[in-house]
Amino acid sequence: MTAARPQASGGRRPGFGAVQALLGLVLAALCVAPFAIVLVVSFGQVVEGASWRWALSLENYLRFFVGLEWPASTSFLYLQKLWWTLVYAGLAAVIAVAFAFPFTWLTTRQSRRIQTVWLVFLLSSLSLSEVFVVMGWDVLLSNRSGLPMVFRETGLTDWLQSVGWFDTLRDWGMATPRNVRFKTSVFATVLTMSYLVFPYAVILLYPALSRLDPAMLEAARTMGARPFTVIRTVVLPAARLPLTGAALLLFVYLLGAYVVVSVFADPARQTLTITIYESVRGATLNAPFGAAQAVILLLTAGGFLLASLRLSRLAEAKA
Amino acid sequence: MSSGEPGPGAPQGDPADLRLWDVRKTFPGGAVAVESVDLRFPAGELTALLGPSGCGKTTLLRMIAGLESPSFGRIELGGEDITDLPAHKRRFGMVFQNFALFPHLTVAENVAYSLAIEGVAKPKRRARAEELLDLVQLPGYGARRIGELSGGQRQRVAIARALAQEPSVFLLDEPMSALDAKLREEMQVELRLLQQRLGITTVVVTHDQREAMTMADRIVVMSNGRAEQVGPPQEVYQRPANRFVAGFIGKANFLSGTADRGEVLLATGARLSVAPAANFRDGAPVQVACRPEWTFLASEPGANTLAGRVAFVRDIGQVREIHVETPAGPQVCELPFSSPARPRLGDAVHLFLPPELIRVFPAQDRAEAA
Repeated sequence: MTAARPQASGGRRPGFGAVQALLGLVLAALCVAPFAIVLVVSFGQVVEGASWRWALSLENYLRFFVGLEWPASTSFLYLQKLWWTLVYAGLAAVIAVAFAFPFTWLTTRQSRRIQTVWLVFLLSSLSLSEVFVVMGWDVLLSNRSGLPMVFRETGLTDWLQSVGWFDTLRDWGMATPRNVRFKTSVFATVLTMSYLVFPYAVILLYPALSRLDPAMLEAARTMGARPFTVIRTVVLPAARLPLTGAALLLFVYLLGAYVVVSVFADPARQTLTITIYESVRGATLNAPFGAAQAVILLLTAGGFLLASLRLSRLAEAKA
Repeated sequence: MSSGEPGPGAPQGDPADLRLWDVRKTFPGGAVAVESVDLRFPAGELTALLGPSGCGKTTLLRMIAGLESPSFGRIELGGEDITDLPAHKRRFGMVFQNFALFPHLTVAENVAYSLAIEGVAKPKRRARAEELLDLVQLPGYGARRIGELSGGQRQRVAIARALAQEPSVFLLDEPMSALDAKLREEMQVELRLLQQRLGITTVVVTHDQREAMTMADRIVVMSNGRAEQVGPPQEVYQRPANRFVAGFIGKANFLSGTADRGEVLLATGARLSVAPAANFRDGAPVQVACRPEWTFLASEPGANTLAGRVAFVRDIGQVREIHVETPAGPQVCELPFSSPARPRLGDAVHLFLPPELIRVFPAQDRAEAA
């Protein structure tokens, strides 16, 4: 008697493979097509009157790295924009994860019911759009009705002046001669960005931290570790990968932040997302140059992801 | 919470012993895990907390370790009250059920974890880790990752790690449950030898009576949060304090009856002599327990015999197990495999229950009532 041969696809019907392949193709096309169009446009040339034409020119890339007048003169304006894009996204991602870690850790120590309440609250806060969040913080940080007013009315401004810290804030561009000023500043931009992605950071960290074996923490305690030492020597190393992953994901997400930067960033310290929009839809109307900036931003994000992947693999190999 | 001052009936012993005075634990919500336990863990001895799942043995161990606070009572070590001392200050070595090794550290780093916390210099830590790995027969394993180890090796690492801080008390929570049967038997012997070599006060939680009998100097049989019996393994086996212990430790045949002039009158009308005579008021409902290896085949009816018919026979290695249906209920008799008696299915037989090997208990004891 001949035994029936098991199906190679683990018992699935043959048509499933074809459907899966078709779906894969559609998804790939949807992902690749927009990027391919942007890539092609980035090599195009602008036509006066808000249009562009096909070309194979590096002009837009040259303009990005060394300026329009090169080689007569060199400008690093767009490299600076790229720098600020990375700085804002990097700082905000790290700050969000740094705050989310203790918050999530303490949440996982609570009863299941309290955990659920917090998670539902955080998930519902995700429904707030970037515009809504920015509007709230705009009012909160505005010079006439927000925190600066609170500083002045409560005497905090006077106290800052008396202890000499007010001058430091002025040096940082966070105070006028009379009162503190949060708009526009790196502080306000990074703060709002961090706030924006904080719920994401918690949700990204929650699965890893809630799955951490409580016996490991108890074992550390029985071996003389105080609660903070347990976190430092057991929890943090065990959560290293999720922490890095969350920070990276948020960093890449924040590279594309637009509304926050347009409202809170100093015009001289704005990011590529602003200039890309200006090129494509705004005042300058230069779609090929906007596309070149978008490609560079995308490649930079990809470069960071690849570098992190390599680093984590190296760390794993070393471990 | 510290209370439960030692009373007049408090257990006595070496001042270096670990003692529990009236320790209780009620969880939020009202679930009672441990009910008024008074215990003495003699210094240098291995005590097994034995009982079925949910009997409170792990909660008791966790209270000893400082991982749970008693709701009431007092825990002392060497006469010093340690009830409210946090786990990191007690520094009792503990081996967890799943070993709880740190996957981000090497074997040596795991073993030397407590020394690193103490701030011991690296070369000294490394030397101590090597010494302990030698002790648990894992020399040269220091640089390995935890993921590269087998279950038995992980257990040894967990033991070495718990011993690194030279603890005054060594606690093990079901340390063999993650191991296969063969390895479990080997590790029971190894662990016992190691404990004897180090002379460390040890408390092992287990639900496996064979494991407890193999390793322990004393067994605490627990049920429903109470210590039902405390004693050396043979004493607990030979002289179970109640029906629960008789049924939980080893196998036993049970018969129902009433006390009658120091004997037991079975519901079938048969009488069983008991030596010494059962100390119950006449007419009190009682349960008779007799272990299968103490139940013999008799050639003819007589005193302390039960007539029956063989319902099932099976050979288990050294013994042959004969299941007999009697009017008083099913009974099991174990004969040495070398015994010439070879009853077959359906044979009429007589079972002899020796008076000196019969144990009599009240019909319903505390453990059952709960």
